Amino acid sequence: MKKQNEPMTAKKAISKATMSILTMMPMLLGVIGLVALMQIYVTPGMLAQLFGHGLVADISTGTVAGAISSGNPAVSYLIADGLLKQGVSLYAVTAFILSWVTLGIVQLPAEASVFGLRFTLYKNILTLISTILVAFFTVLTLKGFAS
Amino acid sequence: MKKGVQFKGLKFLYIVFTIYLILFVIDRENALLALQKVWAILYQLLPIFLLIIIVTALINYFLKPKQIVKHFGKESGAKGVIYALLAGIISHGPMYVWYPTIQELRSHGVKDSLLLIFFYARAIKIPMLPFMIALFGTGYTIVISLYILLFALLQGWFMDTVNQNRASKAEA
Repeated sequence: MKKQNEPMTAKKAISKATMSILTMMPMLLGVIGLVALMQIYVTPGMLAQLFGHGLVADISTGTVAGAISSGNPAVSYLIADGLLKQGVSLYAVTAFILSWVTLGIVQLPAEASVFGLRFTLYKNILTLISTILVAFFTVLTLKGFAS
Repeated sequence: MKKGVQFKGLKFLYIVFTIYLILFVIDRENALLALQKVWAILYQLLPIFLLIIIVTALINYFLKPKQIVKHFGKESGAKGVIYALLAGIISHGPMYVWYPTIQELRSHGVKDSLLLIFFYARAIKIPMLPFMIALFGTGYTIVISLYILLFALLQGWFMDTVNQNRASKAEA
């Protein structure tokens, strides 16, 4: 029987790594399929319309909007810049940028199937709380420096 | 007996496939656009998939399960936290492409708290920092990055506490 701590050959290491990607390919393709749909159906204009209902509502909206959106982080920065120029608060915009890269509603089923429900719940609840708090403290700190 | 490839997420893929089929009937134009996006995303992700295969292969080749547990397991301490933060900051691509690697590490005993630190630290995107600075300023970029690191650590600490309490309750 092969010992667990026996060194792995380079060929076996590459083959194992390739297999780990291959076995998850249906899940990854599913997530990519949903991400593409979100990119088509959730437009920056639609996102902009969601804001302008007070600080707490805007932070919540920013967080949810970022979580349902997907794509390159640069896109979130550009949308955020546009939202700022439209008068949306920096709190909401910061929550939006953060949740764009840290939360992903479309990948939740995949995440739960890979890591289990308990870990997925903890991860996403903690990320959600952290995102709101980071947005709040970032703007508060900047205001503190500015005054 | 040698097992074949055990695919994960087949049901999920069938559901997404069904959504596309329905869209082809009710909104053909957008369904086609979404399919084009799928190809574009896959094309963008190809180098990242390669990178992930290389990273996972290097981990498999150089780190034995015992070493992984030593660096990222229960007794890993501050070193594990620093590695998790750095890995999160330098990792590229969408979160979901890292699932196979992370799952591989988790199966070798990597702590959940370090995974949370890794996932949250990914909010700092080094290649995007100049762009963020250009749009929102240096002060904003520095402050948000520092808070991201702080809250990544807090998440890890919270998860550790929860798991320790759970373990002591299970022992009692």
